[in-house]
Formats: sequence, C-alpha cells, structure tokens
Amino acid sequence: MDNVILLTVLVGSLGLAVIFGRYIARMIVYEKRPLEKTLGRVENGFYKIIGVDRYEQMTWKQYFLALTVTNVIAAGFLMAVLLYQNTLPLSPKPGLSLDLAFNTAASFVTNTNLQHYAGDQQLSIFSQMVGLIFMMFVAPASGIAAAFAFIRGFIRKEFGLGNFYVDFTRIVITLLLPISFFAALLLLFLGTPQTLDSTITVGTLQGGNQTITIGPVAAMESIKELGSNGGGFFGANSAHPFENPTGVSNVFEIILMLVIPLSFPIAYAHLIGRGRGISILVTMLIGFGVMLALGLSESSGPTGLETRFGSFGSTLFQESSVATNTGAANAALTGMSPNAVIGLFLGMFVQAIPGADGTGMMMMIVFVVLTLFLVGLMVGKTPEFMSMKINPKDVKLAAFVFLIHPALILIPSVLAYTTENAQAILGEQTTPATFNQVLYEYSSASANNGSDYLGTAANTPFWNWSTAWVMILGRYAPIGLMLAIAGSFTLRDRKEVVEPIKTSGFLFVGVLSVMVFVLTALTFFPFLAMGPFSM
Amino acid sequence: MRTLKSKVFSPAIRIVILMIVTTGVAYPLLVTTIGQTMMPYQSNGSQVVLNGKVVGSDLIAQNFNSTKFFQPRNSTDSGSGVDPDITPASAISQIPAISSATGIPANALKTLVDLDVARNRETNALVLAPDYVNVLNINVELVKQYPGVYAQEASMMGGS
Repeated sequence: MDNVILLTVLVGSLGLAVIFGRYIARMIVYEKRPLEKTLGRVENGFYKIIGVDRYEQMTWKQYFLALTVTNVIAAGFLMAVLLYQNTLPLSPKPGLSLDLAFNTAASFVTNTNLQHYAGDQQLSIFSQMVGLIFMMFVAPASGIAAAFAFIRGFIRKEFGLGNFYVDFTRIVITLLLPISFFAALLLLFLGTPQTLDSTITVGTLQGGNQTITIGPVAAMESIKELGSNGGGFFGANSAHPFENPTGVSNVFEIILMLVIPLSFPIAYAHLIGRGRGISILVTMLIGFGVMLALGLSESSGPTGLETRFGSFGSTLFQESSVATNTGAANAALTGMSPNAVIGLFLGMFVQAIPGADGTGMMMMIVFVVLTLFLVGLMVGKTPEFMSMKINPKDVKLAAFVFLIHPALILIPSVLAYTTENAQAILGEQTTPATFNQVLYEYSSASANNGSDYLGTAANTPFWNWSTAWVMILGRYAPIGLMLAIAGSFTLRDRKEVVEPIKTSGFLFVGVLSVMVFVLTALTFFPFLAMGPFSM
Repeated sequence: MRTLKSKVFSPAIRIVILMIVTTGVAYPLLVTTIGQTMMPYQSNGSQVVLNGKVVGSDLIAQNFNSTKFFQPRNSTDSGSGVDPDITPASAISQIPAISSATGIPANALKTLVDLDVARNRETNALVLAPDYVNVLNINVELVKQYPGVYAQEASMMGGS
C-alpha cells in the first residue's frame, strides 16, 4: 500500500511536470500556448490597465526593482489588512500587533509562510481571503518570474531577460490561477469546505453543541500547495481534516507541491538542452530521494500524527513539503522521528531538491556554477557553462548566494541564545531538542520554507522582528544576486565548442550530487551535531 | 524620477490592485459560489444528519463521555487536535467496554468496525490511506441500528 502511494505521487507529479514543463518553456520564450488567442486577449487587457508595453525588455536591475517594488506594495497592503482587520468586513477580529503584522506580511510576501499566529483563531475571513490568498499568488509568481528572467539569461546572447510586469501577469493569469481553481474544486469534492462563514455550530450525538471554525479553505489550500506557500488556514495546517480530509487529498496535495518545482528542469531541458535539463531533474530527485529515505528509515508517531495518514502518509507529506520549500505540515513536527527531522533539515539547507517554485531551479543552477568552478580547479581547466567562460565575478556572486543562507541561519540562532530570547520561550535548560527548534526556526525562515516548531509561541517582538528580517534577506538577496548573474551572462559571447566539463550525463549528475551534499554538510555539520544528531 | 514613477511605481500599484481583485476577491468568491451550489455538503463542513438533526461534522472529532459510544483520541494526541478517526486496533480494544455498557454482542460491534473500515477504504481509493475508523460515523451507526439501546441519547441528540 505504501508503495502504491509513493508510486502515485511520483507518476502523478512527474507526469504533470512533463506537461507543465513544456508549457512553462513556451511561456519563457513567448511561444504559442494552447488557447493562445484567448489568453493573449485577457493578458492584453491587463497590460493596458497596468500601463506596460509587453515588448519592452528590462535589464536585470530594472527587473529586480520592479519585482521588489511590487512585493513591497503588496506586503504593505497585507500589513494594513492585518493591522486593521477589526474595521474590515467578514467576521472581524482584533487587529494584529505591529510586530506580528510585519512578521506575517514579510512571511507571506517572501513565499515563506512562517506563522506566529493561529489563522483559525486570530484572522478574519477578510484577512485570510483578500489578504493571504492574494499574497499566495504574488509570492510564487514573483519567484517564478525571477526564474524566467534567470533562465532567459542563458538562452542566447542578448535574448533579453523579459519584463517583470508581463511575466508576473502571465504567470498568475495563465498558470497559477487556472490550476488553483481546478485544484480547489477537486479539494472541495474531497471534503475541504468553502464558505464565507467563519464558524458553524452543530449539535452533537450526545446532545451538546459544538462550534467549528470554517471558511474559504479550499480556495486557499490549492494555491497554498501549488505556490510553495504552506501557510495554513488553520493553526494545525494540513493536519486539520478540513485542509486535508482524506488519504486521497493527502496524495493530491503532495503532487500539487511537487508539480511546478519539477516542471522547471523539464522546461530547462526544452530550452537549454535535453541532457542538461534531465541531469538537473535527476540530481533533484536524488536529493529528494535521500530525504525520503531518511524519513522512511524510522517510523514516526502515532502521537502528533493523524490516523488517516499514518506514519507513511505523514512522512511523505512532510518531506515533500520541506523539499519544495512549501512548509505545510500534515502532522506535528514533534511527532516526526529524529531521522525524518534530519531529512527536513537537509531539504531546507539545500533549497534545491527540488526547492520552491522558480527559486529552487535558480538555486540548483547556482550549485551547477559552483560545481563547475570547483571541478575546473581540480582538473586545471577554465570553467565554462553553456559555452561561456565563468569569470571570477560570477563565482563570487554564486558563492555569495550560497553563503547568505548559513549566515542568516547561524548568526540569528546564536543571537537568540546570547540575548536569552531563546530561553524565554523554550525554558532555561537548553537541550538538543530545544536547540533543534531554534536552528529549525531560522533555517526555515532563511530558506523561505515556513515549516516550524514554535508557531504561536514565537509571537514575541524579538522572534517576530528577527525572523521577518531573516525571511526578507533570505528572499531578496539571493534573487538579486541571481538576476545579476543572469544579467552578466546574457551579454556574454558563446563559443560553439565542446564544453571542457560536460554539464549532463551520469558523471555530471554524480559530481553535482556529491558537491551539493559536501558543500551543505561542511557548512552545517557542527550545528547539526549539536541539535538533531544528539536527539 | 519621473520615469521611476511612471515605469515602476505606477505599474506596480496597478498590478497589485488588479491582483487583489482577481486572486483575493474574484477567485475565492467563484469557488465559493460553485461549492455552495454544486457541493453544499462539503462546502459547509460535511455535516452529518441523523433523524433530521445535525449531529456533528464527519471530519471533526467530538467528545463522547458516555461509555456506550466509541471514543476518539485525546485531542492533544493527534496533529490537528480534532482527529476524527481512530485505528482499527483502537476501535477493537474498545469493544468489550461498549458491549458490557450496552449489551450489544461483541461480534456485532466488530462487524460495525469492519464495515466502517471498508467504507473508509472506498473513500481513499482502497490504497491511499491506512485503515481507520471514523468515530462519529460508527457511533451514528450504533444509534441507527440499536434505537432501543440509545433511546435516551436519541432524545437529546442534535443540541439546541
């Protein structure tokens, strides 16, 4: 039975990734898509209102500026909604504190969805719907748009990185929205509720009354998984039966999380070379396979797990969720086995097996550049990527992208202890288990993952502000640097010669997988030894 | 400065407003409309009706303090705190107590457990979930099949 579930997930997500990979490739190079005429008409309507010329290209700086400004405005809107939800319609609740509202806005705009609040208790239907569902489209669309621009940098000389507003519109209207819509209907069919009421009161079999929190859950759940978001309508996230009612919905949600991240290497294969794309896909699957093997090596629960998922369904969901930087949870993390947690850390440290929508692919290409550089040094050849010389500046930028992540995890973790803010919420006695929770919190924030142990316990000013800034830096610094890399590659001459180090095939997959593992292990090993390895 | 305003801020503000309307308002309202008209049972929380009265949600655990009923897990034992299901082993372990409180033969209770497990298997395409028993459903079956035994409960059920 477990094997059938795993097979369904793999066949389902890879099958859909083949379809959507081809579609995404067409989006990247503006080729004709199915229903092109209709889609084009709708998009043109949007461009007219936005006031943008669809043929106008942006430099990497303009692209990054447009992305950042759009994100800041969207985050400002969400923050205002959360602060003043008491004055807004649809079952108003008290406004959030400034630090919690800032944390939540930063969390959702950066595609993280770390939640220091319980949605079912603290947010109004208006906040959940107009605030969060909206942001759950903005964040992944921004990440996917950045990846579009990044990949265009490698296609051919001066192909152009594209126009952010055009990409963003196309991604929301012709990719995320239609899939989310049909996925929401399927989730509804499987039992996820969808209403504007915030509670229902029902009688019970023994003659009492039971008040149940409800709302527009299906519409949120679909984009939550599809968009690598992960922020639950309920505090219990996908463990809650309204978010994830059955084993079927569990499998479907896992497929939704995996589909876009796995579509990217396939799109890459269409555009940059079949072997190269497939090699990246295989490397991603090897990393994901290691996470799964760790998670399944030891049984989890039953405490903290839902009966309808059991150990296998919970582990598969958790590992897939963290591997795709979605961060949704269908069980309490405290219920997961130590090995499963080590698998989760691996996913957050690498961020590219397969990683979040768009950014996972970019991160994997950064690993490719670093690998080519290191291997080039070993064999004494000038490193080249796609027939372009990799110069010292590219390597510096790529190394920066890689190093931001440990810095954003390790420095705040240490600060949380030295300022006693960790002890304040976890107890004076520091154990491997509590250290693990602190390390996990910042790993999750920096990776824009959103999975966490602390939840509402971390709703204190220190934790709200510190994780918010870690999320912001963990999102925009790498995207900016990666766009800079694309900006410099797009101007570079391509020589049609044989690559000194082939970027496809078994050998390259092997080297890349080992490099990803070695770089990650070297960076994080001391901290893993103090936390998860000692549990 | 002027180009920054017209090339960056103005399109950014407009695109955000458009997306709020499209993804934050139109999309969830459309899903709500379709759900409420075509799938009202699921849309409103899978409410279970017995003898014309709503007795709970199929998906949310409720407390049973009477020993005549199957009991759910303690709320803090699960991931959600409202896990509506128990394992078949847990259900079977409760049979002797329920049998002695109600006089219903143990093998009849075992049959009900098996039927509920089979029903849930169907819900999960036979293989996509481990076997489990939905506590509310099996208790509803008890009340339906043994109205005499549960006469007192049946008169109170459904709340106010």
